[in-house]
Amino acid sequence: MIVVKNLCKDYGNIHAVNNVNFCISKGEIVSLLGPNGAGKTTLMRLITGYIEATSGEVRIFDKDIKTSRIECLQRIGYVPESGFLYNEMRVFDFLHYAAQLRNMNNTDFQENLQQVIYNLDLKEVINQKIETLSKGFKRRVGIASALIHNPDILILDEPTEGLDPNQKVSLRQYLKNYGRNKIIIISTHIMEEVEAMAGRVILLNHGKLVKDTSPEELKKLFPEHNIETAFYKITNEVN
Amino acid sequence: MGRQMFNIVKKETYSCFEGVQAWVVLSVYIFISMFLTFFIGGFFSIDNTGLFSFFCFQPYLMSFLVPALTMRLWAEERKNGTLEFLLTQPISLFSIIMGKFFSAWFICLCMFLLSTPLWIYLNIYFEADNMSILSGYFACLLISGCFCALGCLISSFCSSPAVSYLWSLIVFFSISVSDFSELIKSLHLPLTLENKLSNMLSLNSHYYDLMNGQIGWDNIMFFVLLMIAGLWLNVAAVEYKKN
Repeated sequence: MIVVKNLCKDYGNIHAVNNVNFCISKGEIVSLLGPNGAGKTTLMRLITGYIEATSGEVRIFDKDIKTSRIECLQRIGYVPESGFLYNEMRVFDFLHYAAQLRNMNNTDFQENLQQVIYNLDLKEVINQKIETLSKGFKRRVGIASALIHNPDILILDEPTEGLDPNQKVSLRQYLKNYGRNKIIIISTHIMEEVEAMAGRVILLNHGKLVKDTSPEELKKLFPEHNIETAFYKITNEVN
Repeated sequence: MGRQMFNIVKKETYSCFEGVQAWVVLSVYIFISMFLTFFIGGFFSIDNTGLFSFFCFQPYLMSFLVPALTMRLWAEERKNGTLEFLLTQPISLFSIIMGKFFSAWFICLCMFLLSTPLWIYLNIYFEADNMSILSGYFACLLISGCFCALGCLISSFCSSPAVSYLWSLIVFFSISVSDFSELIKSLHLPLTLENKLSNMLSLNSHYYDLMNGQIGWDNIMFFVLLMIAGLWLNVAAVEYKKN
């Protein structure tokens, strides 16, 4: 369970995240929506403990990310927006390194490795250097590194960016299955992704949480009955 | 902590040796240090039982070689965007910093190991003061450890390895050459205190003391404290920069 309470993050005079409150339970796939600069990435960085909050708290399965950072991170898999791979490494070595940093034993690693290779279709590139991979494969390697320890919470920033339509469909299906008994938070700008995967939408604008509802309810808010229009109208109304 | 730190050491050392970086540093080190020892230091013309002509150039050599090892430790993580990956793993920042520090220090150890044939040569063909030589190597290890810690710190402030190299070079040369005498003179202290303070703060003075076999606690503590300060400030710098 993730509990975010009165969370604020300021950069000088800018309120990147402004008094955000929500709670996410096991089995929920939550989509973080918002225009550029709304505070989505900052919020994800706060949840993963990468940056410290100005005030407020984040609790991961009843543990404060600030005081029990390592314990919390053991249960989180995080895929930042882009470019977080060690390009000089081979795919296998990178995944092995990610597992080692998580103190995984070799048996668990081998078991999970086979699963992520199969689920993310990485078999053909497993011994290739990351720098030689296409954008789509790099994205999948990134997701694999976050899944290697079978985390309870998966946080993904624009996960389908760079994937071809087939890969997008299969990744969405995989994540939907994975999210049945885990928590998934996805930041995205692709509305079809929200409809295809998320059971809940958290809409941010100027660092504030402006809507926390289901995609169906979001659609119903306006006569056009689509998320894109709802997104546009809500974010501009607030403006 | 230990196992995860070891994994960082392994990864950093492996990436250094997989590319050209470590090989270039090792080759340049052995070539220049031998050149300095034999041609500038006058290996055959002075009393060299303690390998003085080899050890006396080490602080200057370290000043421009250690930055090549430490420049990428944080700057490259920041440049490539891998910092976010590393800092969201369930491992303490201190372990990451220690891992990076030990990987750079390990390559320094490899550098010194490459020079050991000189020691063997001295033992076979001449007379060697082995205790003095051991003490010299110990001084080299300490000074390189200090430079590794400070290099890590400087790298954590930079977004480009080249900038990190230049800053480290400037800082290391400054502290190798300077004994802060001008600064101390400006304090208008009694002469004896002035000299004492100058010796206390001079990296070279502690290094030469160790090199000459004076393994006193003050000399060892100077280097150890400098290392601890560098590493501690590194933790603070990374925390500060990411927020």
